[in-house]
Amino acid sequence: MSIQTSAINVQKFLGEHVQSVFETMLSMKAVPVSINLSPHYPERVTGSVGLGGENVTGAIYLHMTAAFARLAASSLLGLPPEELTNESEINDVIGELTNMVAGGFKSHLNDHDLPCAISTPAIIRGTAYEIEPPQGVQRESVLFNCANECITVEVHLRIN
Amino acid sequence: MPIKILSVDDSRTIRLIVGRTLRPFDCVLIEAGNGEEGLAAAAREKPDLILLDVTMPVMDGVTMLTQLRETPELKATPVIMLTAESGRENVLHIARLGVRDYLVKPFKEEQLLEKIGKVVSLVKKETAALPAAA
Repeated sequence: MSIQTSAINVQKFLGEHVQSVFETMLSMKAVPVSINLSPHYPERVTGSVGLGGENVTGAIYLHMTAAFARLAASSLLGLPPEELTNESEINDVIGELTNMVAGGFKSHLNDHDLPCAISTPAIIRGTAYEIEPPQGVQRESVLFNCANECITVEVHLRIN
Repeated sequence: MPIKILSVDDSRTIRLIVGRTLRPFDCVLIEAGNGEEGLAAAAREKPDLILLDVTMPVMDGVTMLTQLRETPELKATPVIMLTAESGRENVLHIARLGVRDYLVKPFKEEQLLEKIGKVVSLVKKETAALPAAA
């Protein structure tokens, strides 16, 4: 197997797929932005889904501010943000959005002869953390502007 | 008798969207959070339609569907799979399992309604409440 992550065109695929997920589920426009800075999230919410197959392993992460996570949940559930008092409701929405992004990416990998399975989503919350990929795992990030907030979609991928 | 629809999904968000989509209609929504709970609910409630997620903890949708098809009193229950994976292989795999239809996430509520409407006859609540014509 000699496929490299560059052949998969992660940036282009995610740039389009994430827009579609946000537009369909949240009625929000997520516009890809090209800056080389890592955004600072004072209070961060991260949705994560693992990918695992014979020739490919990795994970997808959706990073956003806690304020945007609440806004997204409010939009999807049709509730005013102030009525979302239960953190688990917000976590469930972000988990499902991450699942949809990962499901599309899984299909994209499959189209490149890299079949794999995806895990159920998990949520990380905190104020200062980084997710470091293990050695040999390539990391790619796509930044989006959505409702004047920065969303980062990060992919960790190892292709055997 | 209202239509009975069983939604099996580990995401409360998806179950909520299903509930919101069906709210105007005269139907009963039953919810389950994984395949194991889904099988128990199907045996108990005998739904007219099952909306089934693929990736779930405890028991996934494919395993639930396989067991459903092996249960004589439930094997004819129509199933619409909800999947986050749109790839050709996945779609073919789902088709081989004997589902009535499938819907790829993300989806609009109108798309879900259209798929459900092809399997069961949904009647608006207002219409259902009208007295029969003499």
